[in-house]
Amino acid sequence: MGAIRLPSPRGSFRVWQRNVTIFGKYWKSIMAPNFVEPLLYLAALGLGLGAFIQRGGIDGQSYIQYIAPGLLASNAMFAASFESTFNTFVKLKIDRIYDAIITTPVNAEDVVAGEYLWAGTRATLYGTGFLAVLTILGFAFEEPLVTSWWALFIPPMLLVIGIMFSVMGTLFTSLIERIDLYSYYFTLVVTPLFLFSGIFFPVKNFPAPVPQVAWFTPLYHAVNVCRELATGPSPAVLVDVAWIVVFTLVLALIPVQIMRRRLIG
Amino acid sequence: MSTETRELKGTQSRASALAARNLKKSYDGFEAVKGVDFQVRRGECYGFLGPNGAGKTTTMKMIYGAVIPTSGDLQVAGLDVRRSEREIKRLIGVVPQENNLDDELQVKENLLVYGRYYDLPRKLALQRADELLDFVQLTEKAGSKVEQLSGGMKRRLLIAFTVTNNTEIVVLDEPTTGLDPQARHLVWERLRALTAEGKTLLLTTHYMEEAARLCDRLVIMEGGLIIAEGSPKELIEEHVSPQVLEFRAKPEDLERLCPIVEGPADAVERSGEALLVFTSDAEDLLEEVRTSGIAVENTVYRQAGLEDVFLRLTGRRLIE
Repeated sequence: MGAIRLPSPRGSFRVWQRNVTIFGKYWKSIMAPNFVEPLLYLAALGLGLGAFIQRGGIDGQSYIQYIAPGLLASNAMFAASFESTFNTFVKLKIDRIYDAIITTPVNAEDVVAGEYLWAGTRATLYGTGFLAVLTILGFAFEEPLVTSWWALFIPPMLLVIGIMFSVMGTLFTSLIERIDLYSYYFTLVVTPLFLFSGIFFPVKNFPAPVPQVAWFTPLYHAVNVCRELATGPSPAVLVDVAWIVVFTLVLALIPVQIMRRRLIG
Repeated sequence: MSTETRELKGTQSRASALAARNLKKSYDGFEAVKGVDFQVRRGECYGFLGPNGAGKTTTMKMIYGAVIPTSGDLQVAGLDVRRSEREIKRLIGVVPQENNLDDELQVKENLLVYGRYYDLPRKLALQRADELLDFVQLTEKAGSKVEQLSGGMKRRLLIAFTVTNNTEIVVLDEPTTGLDPQARHLVWERLRALTAEGKTLLLTTHYMEEAARLCDRLVIMEGGLIIAEGSPKELIEEHVSPQVLEFRAKPEDLERLCPIVEGPADAVERSGEALLVFTSDAEDLLEEVRTSGIAVENTVYRQAGLEDVFLRLTGRRLIE
């Protein structure tokens, strides 16, 4: 059975719907930390460290203005990464939810695609909430953090960004047998992306090959997209969007096939 | 599809719910199922009996698409398992060996979410959920968390799952393993209710009593092969004599007893501290034992059962 399996929209939707049902029961108790964390970065780095950064800041923005939109992108990355790693692993190996689902007309490939969609949805929910907080804070500090109506495109882009990081996380999940191994993924993939994707400082000022390497990493483009949409985009943002879409499409079917082989003997 | 072929397909699936021909499954050189043939008629309860590792679960998994056959042919309701995965899964309900209820959902929510996997409209799903909770006697538990259910309740809930979609074929992999006798009887009762509704049941078990009570026909599997097939009655008639005498005595007395019973008996088996003697005339045999004067501590006379067939065919050794 070497044929490549494509997920069905109907089955994927059912899996997504199952997650929505459960999220609907617990969202109040699980949403809070996801807002608090970026606010901590904003306070510590934006206000604390930002006070030491010369007037004029980066690219004409104050430091807090510079980092705020980037944190939107990293927030989406973290939301989708946790969903597609620990949460997916528990459903796969511990609670064995997927084994039950695939006895119904929903197939293994639908399970994976449904989880992508769900991780994207979760990233969008968190990111949109965070975007609202940023907008309000900007007014409160009289230092607007979101300055363009283009910011309304941030939530749909967070969905795409969330799906991209879900595909990456699911790929790692599909390859491991032990939950401890996620420390490799977070230490070697997620954290470096978080630190070197232009959230806290522009990567372009680094000597070669750092900017060139950054161009080949996913969060770099997600940060560019969020920053541009928050402040008014230039046409160059289309390159970043295209990069994200192509990267996601190219990678998306690989975890689907591997997970199918794990679920079906 | 023309009317003719549709009718033909209809009659085929009416006649047999399942048909396997030379069905095999191997994993990295290990042959779990080594070529089995069986045909399950519509509306019957068909059992797979066998020790652990006989290939029962693998066979079940091939039926519901969790395992893809290595070779051979398997048709469910006239559909090929390799080509019509989704269609088949729409027609069957499955109780897997491990409970895999959704722990994050309450009992009734579980049924509703499950109904969605089959695209049941919400209104119908709600109605079915209530009917099914009533059917498996869990109405009072509708709002409970799954983890608060006992093992027997979980199995009953899983049975409710299998017929959410008005499925015709129900596949149960060891439906009563680990349950106490009360819970087991309740499960049996519900399974009989399903057969009474005309559903086709496929079940694996290693409880002979369960197989004898529920199954119209069954196969005995060992080492990935089917080694016997028939109704419980046929299997007993074919493989063992109708009556069994079990003698318990000191080992040396049993040694002396052996040659005396071997002549008149159809078969003699040693099982630990006991000597099992199969015969069609227990009276005569008992008389001979009495006249021999050997001290027998305890004698049990009983009808031969499936367990005797099973042990005769699969051997009295410990199979791990």
